[in-house]
Amino acid sequence: MKCARCLLQLQRLRPAGQSARSAAQYGALPQSPYASHMLHNTQLQVLRRFHGSPARVKNRPVPAEFINEDDKKRDKSLVAHDDLFERVDKESRTKATFNKVVDVFIKADVRRRGHVEFIYAALKKMPEFGVEKDLVVYNKLLDVFPKEVFVPRNFIQRMFNHYPRQQECGVQLLEQMETYGILPNVETKVLLVQIFGEKSHPMRKYQRLMYWFPRFKHTNPFPIPQQLPEDPVDLARFSLTRIANDLDAAVTVYQLPCTDITESGELLTLPHIVGIQGPSQMELLAKHNPSRPVFVEGPFPLWLRKTCVHYYVLRADPLPPEEKVEEPYDPERCLVYPLQLDLDLDRDFGDEESFDVEDLDEGPVFAMCMTSQGDQATLNQWISGLQQNNPILGQVPTLFRLNAGPKELQGVGDTESEHHRKPEQETQREERQPEEEPEVLEEERPRRSHGMKQ
Amino acid sequence: MLTVNRLVLLSKCAQIGKGLLACSVRQAGREALSLRQRRSFRSHCRKLAYAKDLFLGQVNKAEVFPYPEIGNEEVEEINQLVAPVERFFNEEVDSSKIDREAKIPPETLNGLKELGLFGIMIPEEYGGLGLSNTMYARLAEIISLDGSIAVTLAAHQAIGLKGILIAGNEAQKQKYLPKLASGEHIAAFCLTEPGSGSDAASIQTRAVLSEDGKHFLISGSKIWISNGDMADIMTVFARTEVLVDGVKKDKITAFIVERAFGGVTSGKPEDKLGIRGSNTCEVSYDNVPVPVENVIGEVGGGFKVAMNILNSGRFSMGSSSAGMIKKLIAMTSEYAATRKQFNKSLSEFGMIQEKFALMAINAFVMESMAYLTAGMMDRPGLPDCSLEAAMVKVFSSEGGWICVSEALQILGGLGYTKNYPYERYVRDCRILPIFEGTNEILRMYIALTGMQYAGKILTAKVKEMKKGNIGTVFSMVGKKLKDTFRSSVDLGLTGKDGVVHPSLAESAKKMEQNIYLLGLTVESLLYRYGKTIVDEQLLLKRVADVLINVYAMTAVLSRASRSISIGLRNHDHEVLLANTFCTNAFFKNNYLMTQLQKHSPENDDANIKKIAREVLENRAYVCSHPLERTY
Repeated sequence: MKCARCLLQLQRLRPAGQSARSAAQYGALPQSPYASHMLHNTQLQVLRRFHGSPARVKNRPVPAEFINEDDKKRDKSLVAHDDLFERVDKESRTKATFNKVVDVFIKADVRRRGHVEFIYAALKKMPEFGVEKDLVVYNKLLDVFPKEVFVPRNFIQRMFNHYPRQQECGVQLLEQMETYGILPNVETKVLLVQIFGEKSHPMRKYQRLMYWFPRFKHTNPFPIPQQLPEDPVDLARFSLTRIANDLDAAVTVYQLPCTDITESGELLTLPHIVGIQGPSQMELLAKHNPSRPVFVEGPFPLWLRKTCVHYYVLRADPLPPEEKVEEPYDPERCLVYPLQLDLDLDRDFGDEESFDVEDLDEGPVFAMCMTSQGDQATLNQWISGLQQNNPILGQVPTLFRLNAGPKELQGVGDTESEHHRKPEQETQREERQPEEEPEVLEEERPRRSHGMKQ
Repeated sequence: MLTVNRLVLLSKCAQIGKGLLACSVRQAGREALSLRQRRSFRSHCRKLAYAKDLFLGQVNKAEVFPYPEIGNEEVEEINQLVAPVERFFNEEVDSSKIDREAKIPPETLNGLKELGLFGIMIPEEYGGLGLSNTMYARLAEIISLDGSIAVTLAAHQAIGLKGILIAGNEAQKQKYLPKLASGEHIAAFCLTEPGSGSDAASIQTRAVLSEDGKHFLISGSKIWISNGDMADIMTVFARTEVLVDGVKKDKITAFIVERAFGGVTSGKPEDKLGIRGSNTCEVSYDNVPVPVENVIGEVGGGFKVAMNILNSGRFSMGSSSAGMIKKLIAMTSEYAATRKQFNKSLSEFGMIQEKFALMAINAFVMESMAYLTAGMMDRPGLPDCSLEAAMVKVFSSEGGWICVSEALQILGGLGYTKNYPYERYVRDCRILPIFEGTNEILRMYIALTGMQYAGKILTAKVKEMKKGNIGTVFSMVGKKLKDTFRSSVDLGLTGKDGVVHPSLAESAKKMEQNIYLLGLTVESLLYRYGKTIVDEQLLLKRVADVLINVYAMTAVLSRASRSISIGLRNHDHEVLLANTFCTNAFFKNNYLMTQLQKHSPENDDANIKKIAREVLENRAYVCSHPLERTY
């Protein structure tokens, strides 16, 4: 376990340094963190070269000749193989075309000359063709290796590094699978045995993969599905349930997204509003002191794999210690046994099992929501939706403390004005009758979103 | 004749009382201090109690030895009463029909009324039989042959009218008891609500004083009311506003509500697993006007009334279960003797024999516990035997369940069919651990009552120990050393002043060891947990189990000793049963108390809690399916 944690930490640490370096090397880079990850992995491959002894190469002229030949051609062939993939249109880069390129290479030369370079090139191009997570493609790439040629035939070959470049290439392929979390299957194993033999380095790599991958498959107690839901409402539902982590909490869709054309011909887009609230939260909110405000805060980011969604919370400040009231013990509560003992003895220190944790009272969170449009008008709709089940919200002053979310970049001026308006809002609200709350909010709405009519 | 009996009983009790007094004087010198503390704590109940003192590792042998007896006339009287009841149940009650049709036929009910079974414990001046607890227990043995009738009668008189009987005023008794005793009116006890079982704070039914101040208007609904459909008189508990020190507070009040007051409606009868003939349904009250004089006790005093009613009704379950098991033994042994397998009758197989032994031991223990408790309750001075009664209930409901299911097992497939009554017994029996306070909550009651009692007395000592007072520590160490040199614990049950017959001496020694160890265990638990022991339910459960076992051992030892001494028929069999049970219970107790020790490897409470927590977090079984693969 400790070892696993170390690995995780290492992986977390690496991208920072590595990606910077790779950025320097490769210039323009794809923006996603995965890309840099992959790159650093290929680099690692270079670092983890097997020790092939050059002296041995001299003893075996024939392979040496091959290698020399390869060396001479290397630059040329690399370009050629890259070229094979480059020739495919940017638009039509799919699994089918990738397979076609591989087929072309296989059929082009019975000896498969330059297959190591081809495989390296193919590995590099896989993400572009969107096949980096496809096991079948990896097996097909492995199939490019000529069979039985690299299998050691005697103990000396077995003892030393037999065909190091090929083995290294095989390991590299497996390593890329590892990077993308692809678990090899039996076919991979059969291929590896046919190509490199039972005790080769790629085979070892395969065995290590098969040892660790299944063990780590379910380490995350909160797994995220590979395919996130496309529909924003479904996605919101999924992420809210994930954050709340409360089996009792009910998700409510306050508004479905839709586009409408108003009478004046304006295009009206209604954002989706999805909220979640559990019964215990409702209970907390019902007990909330109406003279203390509740806050709508957000947006806060939540990352689900490569997607980032934002959510808003309805919360209150923690109760000041003087307002906390403990329910007094009622001796006439339980009909059968005493709920408390009338003893002057406390728990012994030796049996104290609780940790001394510094408790930071954060204040209750009453509800959460997600919406595609995080302006105050939309969030107000959420609050009035909540009010149906939580009548107390009609009496509690609600303050909006919204940061400029990613989608509000264009409205910098708007948010600024909102900040200015805030104190004024508060004073306004406290003066009014509590029942008029929703109307007050209605008045403020047009200022912010002119086009919206509800 | 009855009054004569009572006189005899009274004089006997006085003698016992004298004996107790002498005994306490003898002990007084030894533990004057602790006694003084105890007295201040138990101001409301009798000075001596058996079960509570076990928590201190002491045996109050005068309380349970000799085994309580009833007078000769009373024996005759009860025999005269029992015979017709037994005949009635054997000949006129068709239990399978009651079960099938989920209704007790009116002629059966009338028969019960004629026998006076609706007023067993109501005094004669109000038209009841006026029997003691002991005699009630004896009748319960027979009544329990049909679960539905037993529950109907229990709901009527063990809880339904008990409120009037123990807390009602003279006018209320005069008005209601005669008709209840004759069975003309049937009573029900209405406490449980949809949101409230044992939690009095969540009772929602409300009683509001009308403007003229003459009536309370009751509104609300009660669920799972036995006899709810046919009850004419109901004891209803409702919330009322009471002024306490000038502050308005909600308190529970008990009312006598007649169906004739109007506004009482009962719902559809519940379809139950067992006791199908008994009527259970929801009862709703819609502004039912109840005259002020129908308040039981005083306004706001309903909690005490409810607790007393519940506490007093539990002891009879021991004799009921015993009666049922005795009947089952007779039925199954008939089968086991005639049924042949491999040319041997079933009764020759060891595993079948074991089942019969188990049933016999259980019936014997339950009987002993029930009549010991009933006898203690019949003593003058309103002794508080609620702890003992709760132990009887827990032991007999669980033992009953095991025995009934073993009896069915003897029959095998036949027992599983509706052609035989065993499946009905199994179904009926399942209610026993649930009603009249679930066994879980009663275990809490048993353990916590004792802990509270022991805690009051031991607080000073434990505090001294915690402070590291040299004197206390040395006296502790000295006591420990003395104990190690002494071969066994002697609490005075055997030997010179012994009360246990020598043929049971070994079992008595085992019990003494258990009691001594229980005292130490309780002390260490108090030292370790103090008042937070309330939250350690798994520990409390074990404490309760040990105490129940010890009380059961006491009961069988006391009963068997008496049987030998007066030469009852087959007393050697009783000795055999008692010794077997005591050996068994001794091991169980030792195991339980080992688990209660700190860092004991047998104690896997932490694991149990963790398993439960993980399952409950997921609200499902957590493990992956064994057929699942990861690659």
